[in-house]
Amino acid sequence: MSSINVENVRKDYGGVKALHSVSLDIKDGEFVSLLGPSGCGKSTLLYCVAGLEEISGGRVLFNGNDVADRGARERNIALVFQDYALYPHMSVRENIAFPLRRQKLDSALVTKQVNWAAELLGLTGLLDRSPSDLSGGQRQRVAVGRAIVRNPAALLMDEPLSNLDAGLRVHMRTEIKRLARELGLTVLFVTHDQEEAMVMSDRIAVLSNGHLQQFDDPMTVYRNPINRFVAEFIGSPKMNILPAPNGNAKIIIGARPHDMNLVKDGKANTDDFAVTGTLAMVEPAGHVYFLDVEVGGTLVKATTADIGWSAGRR
Amino acid sequence: MALIDQHEATVLPPRRYRPRPPLFAYLASSPTLLMVVLVVGLPLVYSIWLVLHRANPITRKTTFAGLSNFRNIFKDPAFWEAFGRTLYFTGFALIGTTVIGMAIALVLNKAFFGRGFMRSVMLVPWAMAPVSVAVLWSFIYAGDVGTLNAALNDLGLGAWTQAWLGDGNRALNLVALTHVWNQAPLTALLLLAGLQSMPASLHKAAMLDGAGPVGRFFRITLPWLRPSLLFVCIIATINALMAFDIIWIMTRGGPGQATTVFAWLGYVYSFQFLRFGEGAAMLYVLTALSFACAIVFVLLLGPSRWRRRAQADTANAGAPNVAEAAVKARPVTLEPPKYKAPLLPRRARRLLAKALFRLAVLMIFLWSAVPVLMLLNMSLTPATDLIRTPASIIPSALTLDNFREVLFPDGGTTSTQSKRVPISLMNSFIVGTFTVLIAIALTPFAGYVFARWPRARSFQIGLWGILFTRMTPALTLVLPFFVIYRGLGIIDTRTGLVIAHLSILLPLIAWMMKSTFESVPQSLDRAAIVDGCSRFQMMIRVMIPVIRPGLVAAAIFGFLVSWNEFLFAMILTSTPDAQTIPVVLSGYLQQARFHEYGPMFAASVLSILPPVIIAFVFQRYLVQGALSGAVKG
Repeated sequence: MSSINVENVRKDYGGVKALHSVSLDIKDGEFVSLLGPSGCGKSTLLYCVAGLEEISGGRVLFNGNDVADRGARERNIALVFQDYALYPHMSVRENIAFPLRRQKLDSALVTKQVNWAAELLGLTGLLDRSPSDLSGGQRQRVAVGRAIVRNPAALLMDEPLSNLDAGLRVHMRTEIKRLARELGLTVLFVTHDQEEAMVMSDRIAVLSNGHLQQFDDPMTVYRNPINRFVAEFIGSPKMNILPAPNGNAKIIIGARPHDMNLVKDGKANTDDFAVTGTLAMVEPAGHVYFLDVEVGGTLVKATTADIGWSAGRR
Repeated sequence: MALIDQHEATVLPPRRYRPRPPLFAYLASSPTLLMVVLVVGLPLVYSIWLVLHRANPITRKTTFAGLSNFRNIFKDPAFWEAFGRTLYFTGFALIGTTVIGMAIALVLNKAFFGRGFMRSVMLVPWAMAPVSVAVLWSFIYAGDVGTLNAALNDLGLGAWTQAWLGDGNRALNLVALTHVWNQAPLTALLLLAGLQSMPASLHKAAMLDGAGPVGRFFRITLPWLRPSLLFVCIIATINALMAFDIIWIMTRGGPGQATTVFAWLGYVYSFQFLRFGEGAAMLYVLTALSFACAIVFVLLLGPSRWRRRAQADTANAGAPNVAEAAVKARPVTLEPPKYKAPLLPRRARRLLAKALFRLAVLMIFLWSAVPVLMLLNMSLTPATDLIRTPASIIPSALTLDNFREVLFPDGGTTSTQSKRVPISLMNSFIVGTFTVLIAIALTPFAGYVFARWPRARSFQIGLWGILFTRMTPALTLVLPFFVIYRGLGIIDTRTGLVIAHLSILLPLIAWMMKSTFESVPQSLDRAAIVDGCSRFQMMIRVMIPVIRPGLVAAAIFGFLVSWNEFLFAMILTSTPDAQTIPVVLSGYLQQARFHEYGPMFAASVLSILPPVIIAFVFQRYLVQGALSGAVKG
């Protein structure tokens, strides 16, 4: 495993700037998520680290060594692709063994390693199957197996969970996090799902339009977002953005829905910030209700555990 | 009890469900099937009758001969010599088209500036009529004044000039090379389609797993292309076995017997010796050979049906259960692979790769375009320049005289052959248009039925029939056509030619329509019917508009096939009234060998004009047509 340092990396496609001077220092064994909306440059950054894309400026260092002169082949990087990229003509066993065979390792060692990875991921019974005979979750695990079977400098994952159904996704993210921690893997994990990033990562790098917005641990990003973009991107439902009560146009207030409490009869504590509006819609979500409250022409989201009102009341 | 039931269920798989098609399906497909029976089935039956009989050309008596026609040709040493040559020719063509086609496909699969243009350029040799191809190359290889010799003269290598087609072995190789030049683009096209369907992540994954460019080609690309390669091999083999036009123009089986392959020998038996039975027998050997080769390829490259599937352990198929067990440490901590500093820095390597790539693109351009540009050059060269000695490829002046001669013939100076060119161009256009219109009017309905009820037995038979006609040499059909037409009095008419071309185009376009409809989701049919359409209205209002691009592709492709067709046109026409442009082109070679090169090349350029325009302007449709039909000879 290695640490990865990204120093002022830029990437231009013709005239289009995909990355503007992004810097990250990822420690050995750290789990870092690259989070952002689609088109923000997170996959580009991942490919630049992997060596699949040439960088237009800056440096990428593994364990302090500049890897500019190494192609993707020579960086000893493992990447799990969104579509898994399993070799369709090879069995699961051959898929997992492929990177080891490229290193011309002794075949007994290859077998040993493949069996270890298969056992680790619960693939032992599937080793002779072809990828086309596997379910989505199984393919995903084969892709992970192929990535960790050797000793990669880092494990990169490009939205690996987005093709799984909701239940499996929640299960797999726990599993991947566990695997990463116990094997001490340095992981760079690309996702557009803020919840996924929050749950899995040691630190989250939020990107937007090729700019790094914030690089902090999940709770810092959540509680102290550095700007409005981060504040709105993290958290579900989205944060409410309200004008300041004193009429100062330079100040806006962000309030997360679950911090907005329902106060009956307009009797709020005087030191609290309060808004008054019409209840437009109620969305039951199991443990809470989401409330759409219309305040002066804009909709404000709020939550409540108990509701005695119906829509239309003030 | 339950156990036994389960056991039985695995031993006896349920019968394959064959849904009964509605009446509409029969009604919609019957016009096409009927036409196919008429224009393909009837001649085929007649040719089978021929093969079983012996006709005396003088007394015109026919006697039943059983299989003695086959016995006769098997006893003929010429047959076995032709057999060897056919195998050689086919092997040469197969390897040549596959290697060159693969190289072209690999290069044109990369993104680079001008790729669309290069793809069009690459297609031109294949879009041209084989007759035009052969006219061009036979002049390139010609002795004395040939282009190759002229070029050698110009380069000061006059000592190397020779009659290139004069030597037997060399002639066979050069004819096969010409065939490769003509056919490699088809292979490239099919492989290109296979390459483009390959997910980009596959190569990236292999790169990260440590595989180099060569390793990736053999371990990732080639296995991925396996189904395409199977198809390519079958098509290339059939096309090589049936190659006839090129030999007819370039060598006519000579010198001596050096280029007499089966197709040519069958032609000679049938139309020169008038031994129809034996000629037909020879051509059926060709059909058998096509089938045999197809089967060999399927066994070699096809999906391995007997691959042992690992026992399905359903316990593992459910929810993953890894989390329960503690993660075990690696049995061996692998050292990361040693990093060797490469000989050249990465920048230099990339520049070198770029330069090599540019070189490859240039090679493809030279291979595809230079012969065609030479043809254009020769058509603009004064006729006298073409026969001067010492030969030179540099014209003394550029002139449009050759074109004037074939386009606006005047009474006095124009030769009879050149006078035929304008009419023949029009004939080609009329025949192509009508053939395509009829095929396009009928086949979408049949194609729809074939796509939607592929399991229904009656349609399966129809499909196999259509496939079988692809493996039957056109030469087998042409003799029955000739005899039937003489009886009906439609020999030497455009109508007759339209019917004959339908025998090629109907199966082809029906097949293309089938593949087009297969890509239309069935929910669209259901939506149309739920919304109140009858089946017929659904076809007219929903289906046909939806597949319009496919229809245009089929029309363009079909027109090209008809425009380029030579054999039927040659045998079934005899006067300028119905002759098409390939026939008139070939006529130049028969009448005057020396004086008419100028007009001949002008006519050649005119004959390749529609194919070249299609390759450049309608490239997308041509490619789509080739991919869904993929079977032009």
